[in-house]
Amino acid sequence: MSREPAGWDVDSPVQAEVFVVWHDGNRLQLTGPDGPQPWILQLGMTEHPVEVVDRIVRDVIGPPILVHSTSWRRDRDAVILSFVVVIDRLLVGEMASVPIARAELARSEATVAPREIATNAVVEHGLRHLAWLAKDDPVVAAELPRGWLPLLAEYVPEPFRNLG
Amino acid sequence: MSDKSTFTNRCACGWEVSGSEDEVVDATIEHGRRIHNMEATREQVVAALHAPASGNSADEARRAG
Repeated sequence: MSREPAGWDVDSPVQAEVFVVWHDGNRLQLTGPDGPQPWILQLGMTEHPVEVVDRIVRDVIGPPILVHSTSWRRDRDAVILSFVVVIDRLLVGEMASVPIARAELARSEATVAPREIATNAVVEHGLRHLAWLAKDDPVVAAELPRGWLPLLAEYVPEPFRNLG
Repeated sequence: MSDKSTFTNRCACGWEVSGSEDEVVDATIEHGRRIHNMEATREQVVAALHAPASGNSADEARRAG
């Protein structure tokens, strides 16, 4: 006899969505413990989101180079905080990766959030945010591995923002 | 007669485990804690495992992993 459950998923009212990014020498790649799909983390009511993302990434993958929240939106019956996490290429190991392609942003109307926000639009905004930090924050500029700055220069810098 | 039921749990991230109830429960708790920062109790996992496959009763237990 075999029994399968109806479903199993993170369900906290605030969740982190982690995009693990690395530079392969030519381009940026998206990866994670389950491959390039968004990596969802439960966030407890008293937990600091950045601390949780740093701790879980450190435990599962290894020490991150940068951890930055880049946007938020309403989705999955929760508030989703999106994070871009930069890791060294040596930490990628057997994790599946895909090259990050450019994408259109999901733009809001004047007072209404976008109706649909694709994952690649969240990643696009995350990298634009990182491009902004690379110009505005000397710590980020110093920490980014060699080869990142020329690639980020191709992105239109944007600050943290609400995607929906 | 011993219970030879095989259970399977599948996380939304794609992770899946099959085995005895104890094996699946332990693996699910570990996966949720380590990969998703989720603290699920044994009772919550067991409740989800015994929920109907096509229903929403897993939502009654705390979802995890």
